[in-house]
Amino acid sequence: MLKTSVFCFLASYVLAFACELGQFRWRHALARIVSLLMAVAGLIAHTFYLLYRSNQSDLPPLLSSAHDWLLVVAWLAVLVYLFVSLAEGELGIGLVMWPVVLLLVVSAQYVTAAPSHVLDYHRNWKLLHATLLMLGTTFVLLGFVLSLLYLWQHRRLKQRQTQSRAIKLPNLELIERLNRWTILAAVPLQTLGIASGFGLSIFSKGGELAMTWTDPVVIGGAVTCLLMGVLFVWLLIQKRSPGRQVALLTAWACGFLLVTLIGLQMLTAAVGMRSIHGNASAPAAVATEGQAP
Amino acid sequence: MNLLALYCTHQTTSLAVRERLAFATSERLVTGYAAMKQRFPDTEIVILSTCNRVELYVARRSDAEPMTPPMLAQFLSEFHDLPLDDFVGELRAATGSEAVRHLFEVISSLDSMVLGEPQIVNQVREAYRVAEAQGACGPMIHALFQGAIRTSSRVRTETRLAEGKVSIASVAVGDFAKSIFDHFDDKLVLVIGAGEMAEETLRYLKDEGVREIVVVNRSPERAQRVAAEWGGRAVPWSELNTWLGQADVIVSTTGADKPIVDASLFKQVRAAAAGRTAFILDLGAPRDFDTNVGDLNDVFLYDIDSLKKTCEANRKARVREIDKARKLIDEEAAKFMAEYYHRASGEVVSRLMQDWHAVSKDELDRLFHKLPDLNEKDREQIERTVERIVNKLLHPPLEALKVEAREGTPHGLINALKRLFRI
Repeated sequence: MLKTSVFCFLASYVLAFACELGQFRWRHALARIVSLLMAVAGLIAHTFYLLYRSNQSDLPPLLSSAHDWLLVVAWLAVLVYLFVSLAEGELGIGLVMWPVVLLLVVSAQYVTAAPSHVLDYHRNWKLLHATLLMLGTTFVLLGFVLSLLYLWQHRRLKQRQTQSRAIKLPNLELIERLNRWTILAAVPLQTLGIASGFGLSIFSKGGELAMTWTDPVVIGGAVTCLLMGVLFVWLLIQKRSPGRQVALLTAWACGFLLVTLIGLQMLTAAVGMRSIHGNASAPAAVATEGQAP
Repeated sequence: MNLLALYCTHQTTSLAVRERLAFATSERLVTGYAAMKQRFPDTEIVILSTCNRVELYVARRSDAEPMTPPMLAQFLSEFHDLPLDDFVGELRAATGSEAVRHLFEVISSLDSMVLGEPQIVNQVREAYRVAEAQGACGPMIHALFQGAIRTSSRVRTETRLAEGKVSIASVAVGDFAKSIFDHFDDKLVLVIGAGEMAEETLRYLKDEGVREIVVVNRSPERAQRVAAEWGGRAVPWSELNTWLGQADVIVSTTGADKPIVDASLFKQVRAAAAGRTAFILDLGAPRDFDTNVGDLNDVFLYDIDSLKKTCEANRKARVREIDKARKLIDEEAAKFMAEYYHRASGEVVSRLMQDWHAVSKDELDRLFHKLPDLNEKDREQIERTVERIVNKLLHPPLEALKVEAREGTPHGLINALKRLFRI
């Protein structure tokens, strides 16, 4: 039986990030290989951890708790990082991606880890709701990372700085195109995710899944989704918009959405506020060690 | 090792002399090989002739008469119909391991005008290919040039000697334009003026796939010439503002004594293309674009000074790699020499063993003839004993030869063995 804990993959990710940073000073193929190996090792430990949690609660990780949900988003982000790194090794995506992944993993420690027991009803609907939100959030996260890369590259070009030999940034045109696509994918997914959540709540009126208008996670999610919707419409109606402006707006909107979603989850867990997305009855920090099957 | 390299390069010889010694066309090169083979039979030859160097590599068997620089200089003088005195002082020569090291440095671009430039590898490969096609190569040249190609590959992968661009145009396109645009086949390039650097930039842009080029020049004839050369079209100077508003890449090299475009003009002409990125390469001195044009949104303006910094940084980075490259070359040259001496001593070892075993076999045959009553087992025992004696007697001299070959030049010992045992 393989024992894994959040610490296992968090440490691997920290080392992978350190190797990425180290390439600024010491550019060597070995540093890149170590970085990728650390990322792969972390991803394996991360997968075992999620599988264990899923077995323990007898629920898919997406439905189990906010803790698991955030870790699934982080898992997807690492997968995207590995895919990009293996396809285009010199791209400096890790420098922006790893802080976001680490933030998600660390945040997952401060949100509720208690499995939800209200899932026997409308399980498939709930799964659809969580999956749509998770995919939407992943695209939001990618949009955020791409916007930061755009702003970084834009600043370098404006200041006429020599391209670092260690870390290559993607070109502006490519980032801009990918950025638009991530927003165009994220907003419908987020909207459908929230709509399915409202639908669930309406169908189970009076039941345990009933939504309250004071639920901070619901309110925060709806507001940020509205904000993303505005950005989405703006992107659709603008034939050409300055790339930097798009990147700035995307960075702010996506950053705000991520901070709001994670922040509200942490807040509800910290103060024990009632939310249909879980409460603080079982803080994640005490339930982080698991045994892989 | 019977190897000689005779050469003149951009570092030692003026272009005026180099161009007279060059084998400039393929016909001339083929004639050169034919003349050399006729004059120096049983000689392996490679002629490397580029705009920066003329080099002759010649090798012979170790027991043949060595080639000398005057022999080759005389050949060059007669072949090119040049008085010897006009160039003989400009030639340099290297023999044996020095010649090996010289070729390894040349192919690794340590001896190039632009340190780390990649063309020299192909030029050396091509010279080797032509020599092979002309039947001028033998085992020594094959081993030498294959070792050289291996060395250049190591230098390029294990050092940063070839990294970073070092010309203004290549930095502008490779480091900056390519960081802005993903592809160039749908980009409109506007060339203002028709300077040499603009043409160099066009070459790099063409390599990236640029299709649409518009040339504006006060002189329509010059505009026509540049446009024709690069597959673009020339437009009148009066249309400058129209094309400024549409271009994605602008390369400017006018001889104007003050900026021809300022921020307000540029903003005005780009009004219809709001949000469209413009990459401006201002190669004029004085500059053609006011510096405040670079402050506009989605405009990336680069002048010579801003690019020079990158060129200089890249050049310095390459210079820092020289020691590392030399170390690799030393390693590869030493490895090559060790392999060469190992092969040379291997021939002697094998001949010596063959001779001694042949003698022992003859003597055994004679003995067995005199003792016909010996059974098969006894014969076998005697044969084995004699073989062991021969091997034990040969062991000390052969071991000494191996040690000598590992440590350097075993010529003395090889010659001694050859004389002692009449090999």
